[in-house]
Amino acid sequence: MNLKILTPEKITFEGDIDELIVPTITGEIAILPHHIDLLTQVSDGELVIKNKGKQEHIAITGGFLQINKDTLTLLADYAVHSEKINAQKALEAQKRAEEILKKKSEHTTEQDLAIAQAEMRRAILELKVARKRKHV
Amino acid sequence: MATLISLRRRIKAAQNVSKTTRAMQMIAASKLKRAQDAALAGRPYVQKLTELAQDITLRTEDAKKHPFMRLSIDNDKTLLIAIAPDKGLCGGLVTNLLREFFIYSRDEKNAQMIVVGKKLENQVVKLQNEVLAAFHFGTTLPTFDVVFPIIKLINEYYLSGKVQSVKVLYTDFVSFFNQSPKVVQLLPISLPESSDQEKKNVAQADMLYEPSLEEMVPELLKHYLEMSLFQYFLETYLSEQAARMIAMQNATNNAKDIISGLKLEYNKTRQAKITGELLDIIGGRTGAQA
Repeated sequence: MNLKILTPEKITFEGDIDELIVPTITGEIAILPHHIDLLTQVSDGELVIKNKGKQEHIAITGGFLQINKDTLTLLADYAVHSEKINAQKALEAQKRAEEILKKKSEHTTEQDLAIAQAEMRRAILELKVARKRKHV
Repeated sequence: MATLISLRRRIKAAQNVSKTTRAMQMIAASKLKRAQDAALAGRPYVQKLTELAQDITLRTEDAKKHPFMRLSIDNDKTLLIAIAPDKGLCGGLVTNLLREFFIYSRDEKNAQMIVVGKKLENQVVKLQNEVLAAFHFGTTLPTFDVVFPIIKLINEYYLSGKVQSVKVLYTDFVSFFNQSPKVVQLLPISLPESSDQEKKNVAQADMLYEPSLEEMVPELLKHYLEMSLFQYFLETYLSEQAARMIAMQNATNNAKDIISGLKLEYNKTRQAKITGELLDIIGGRTGAQA
């Protein structure tokens, strides 16, 4: 089956795979070929792609997964390969976001807060996935 | 024949112009790269999201449809969001966009307008058309927060039934040499043209929803609205930069042509003057000797 991961920034993954494990808001599910057509909401977490005995890990924040006759399309807000995660940078981003959230003043708008929160969410997720994969 | 001094002045002026246009061309070229990356990268995502939204619309029974999916019949007013750049000097881009805008506002008397970009705002103010809101477009790559205030207005007008549909006027980036203004429908979600049979096939195909469709739809449609609108901003920005780069390149070339023409004339005039002076001297001398 074919998988395509699209984010607003780029196409993160495109190719044939054997199995996909994806976190959805109702729990983690594994998808094998000939799965019934499905539309589901993906939650923050780690995506595992298995292909010919090899595994790839991708951190994603929220989105939608559509399965249409063995063609999988994942629309994610953000997606990054686990080996491309820069833990140092993620840590810094987390700190920066934390500070913005802490220092709330009348100058910070609702949007600033939303952006900081989203950044924090992303940083935490990246760190989680990076840590997990280092110990494998 | 022009005097030497005035010719020199004109050469100088043309040189200054060519320097300025050249600088603007370089700036546009460097901005273009980033704009291209952002806009072209977003295309597949937005396209798929739109397909998904259309797909779901087809599959949902009429009674259960989210307001974004169906046409309300209360009135025939539309809400037009017109996106234009803040700055000019980008060839025919703004003119074309304005023409499209006025055609639209003439045809649709009931349209409510939200305008983005100073170029459009100025024209609209001049003609004293009424607008709901005006935003600036900015001169740098649009950031995602530009969509929020507009989305808020859309929700306010669309969900309360004050308007029946929401459309966007933007400049579509076809290639570096071709950018054309376009009006597209944002809400309700427009369905691709296909036969009823095809529609039926899609609607009846088995599909599992996890969680239920009703729970996912609002989130998905909100996403669709934000992302599509943002994509139109990116396309407009990309078109603006491409148009400006080409326009400024042409301007630089024209200025160079003018400079070389003027230089030729200047040199000819100078030569003629020297020859004339020499003739005077020689003539004077032969006269004295005789």
